[in-house]
Amino acid sequence: MSQLLRAGLALCALVAVSACATKVERLDESQAVDLSGAWNDTDSRMVSQEMIQDSLSRAWLQEFRGRAGQNRPAVIVGEVRNMSHEHINTQTFTLEMERALINSGKVDFVATKAERLGIRDERKDQDLNAREDTRNAMGKELGADFMLTGTINTIVDPSGDTQVRFYQVNLTLISLADNRKVWVGQKDIRKLVTRSKLRF
Amino acid sequence: MSAGGVAAGVRWPSASACLAALAACATFSDTIQSTERGLAQQQPKAALAEYKKLKPNAADRVLYLMNTGMLERMAGDYDESTSSLEQAKHLVEQLRALSLREQALSLTVNDATKAFIGEDFERVMVNNYLALNYLEQGKLDEARVEALQVDVLLRDRGQKTTIVKPYEEDAFARYLTGIVYEDEREWSDAMIAYRKAYEAYQKQLKAFGVEMPETLKHDLIRLADRMGLTDEAKKYREEFDIKDTMSEAELLQRGEIILTVHAGLAPIKRERSTTLPNPATGRILRIALPQYRSRARPFAYASLAADASHSARTSRVENIDAIAEKTLDAEMPLITARAVARMAAKDTIAAVAGSSNSGDSGGAALIGLLVNVAGVVTERADTRSWFTLPGEIHLARLALPPGDYGIRIELRGRDEHVLDSGEIKVTLRKGEKKYLSRHWIPTNLEVRP
Repeated sequence: MSQLLRAGLALCALVAVSACATKVERLDESQAVDLSGAWNDTDSRMVSQEMIQDSLSRAWLQEFRGRAGQNRPAVIVGEVRNMSHEHINTQTFTLEMERALINSGKVDFVATKAERLGIRDERKDQDLNAREDTRNAMGKELGADFMLTGTINTIVDPSGDTQVRFYQVNLTLISLADNRKVWVGQKDIRKLVTRSKLRF
Repeated sequence: MSAGGVAAGVRWPSASACLAALAACATFSDTIQSTERGLAQQQPKAALAEYKKLKPNAADRVLYLMNTGMLERMAGDYDESTSSLEQAKHLVEQLRALSLREQALSLTVNDATKAFIGEDFERVMVNNYLALNYLEQGKLDEARVEALQVDVLLRDRGQKTTIVKPYEEDAFARYLTGIVYEDEREWSDAMIAYRKAYEAYQKQLKAFGVEMPETLKHDLIRLADRMGLTDEAKKYREEFDIKDTMSEAELLQRGEIILTVHAGLAPIKRERSTTLPNPATGRILRIALPQYRSRARPFAYASLAADASHSARTSRVENIDAIAEKTLDAEMPLITARAVARMAAKDTIAAVAGSSNSGDSGGAALIGLLVNVAGVVTERADTRSWFTLPGEIHLARLALPPGDYGIRIELRGRDEHVLDSGEIKVTLRKGEKKYLSRHWIPTNLEVRP
């Protein structure tokens, strides 16, 4: 009897100890996990996927390819402004879009302003230090045809423990030649967030 | 029966030992003297180092983060400060749910066992200081996020812990969000925010004694003109007796310096207690309630000058001292009711403990006494408050033609004498707004003994 009791106690202690240890569980990246109701990776992925599909299936791409001597448009990522009520890292989905668009083979991306400065420094360095047949000359950069810009907006309607959050992501592709907007993508996400009333 | 009596006898001393142990941990605010001393000696870095030595328990975590965030800001570590305050904000979200365990403890031990989530004004201040951190770092869009969050916080009555009559709006928060929107060139949002600030200052004048800031009067006229609200602009011109004010177009041709001065420290909560014997039962009764004590407030205003023809002086925009006092006043009936209920509960437990051992009257009396003492010792008021908040906030706006400046800032006391002064080098471009801030804490700050 007392042995059984001791075993039971040991088991309880084990359970208690294991509950204290940090637990890490790897999640599939497509699995949606919503903890606080705030903008998260799932939203980011949903938005970028929808935007990529939409942007590649629209008329601007065909129209550009139809022009004489043009094959793939060169795009640069401009600023995606966060106008929402949450601190959102907009880079996650612009980078995801960039990756998917490059991999589609239909669009070229050119380096952003900050990246270009670093590359130019490297080229300058090559001019001085690299072997002549491996040197890359200045002034041969690919100029972008389009610039991708956008905004994230939100409307929040709070009422006690419940909140309706409405996110709207707008992305616009603007022709650098004539400021024409050639594509506008929009994705809306609506969430109902209910805060727990009780805790331990 | 007797076995039950023995078990109860064992249980009671252990319970009272637990209570005594709890009482041994002083409440959070009692361990802050060295931090305050560092601040009074104008050494925020040393104060921060002292404060970080504290190991807060889970219930005091939010308070710890709020204070750390403010001290980091004073020490000039804006990134660290932002990170601490953001953490505090997220933790408050989680802790807002009601904990039955904590409610039970607050009714049987004391109020300081509840998780601290701050008063409504303290939570609004988290957003305000985050916005100021971002603005001073030139991150306007991030500050805009805080402006939107503060709007949700002030709009949602469900998030408020107490309804404090004059504090339904935070005038300074509204004013600051207006400035952020104006900087973003979102004119209609800026107009709405300035209008809300105007209404809040009007409503709260009596309660908090903060006059309509001079700058806000000009901001209202400028924005109303910009929006084409002729009647409203005329109304403000007449009400404030202002004939000339810079138009938005003129302002955009210049740069602007927006200075906030954070003067003094918020009042501290102290315990006010009464302990008396009950002659009828021979047991001791004790009740402990929190009470605010204001700090020394020698600061009157700050002046800033770029040169002989360009200068401005600050107006008071927020009186945290008064807001804190009024909030506690509004909560006092509930705190008192809880304290009385607690006193009755503790007395009942002591009475039961003293009479449960019918066989051994001497032992029972001893246990009863022990439980009574433990109950009395654990009766502490909840004296936790965000003590590193300033007592008041002042603000000035100074429009300047683009160029390089050495801005001279002078802080003056009530008798006009200079409390502190300094110069800040600033480069302003056309249409640019630069946000500066000064924290000033008097050296004669009343420090806890």
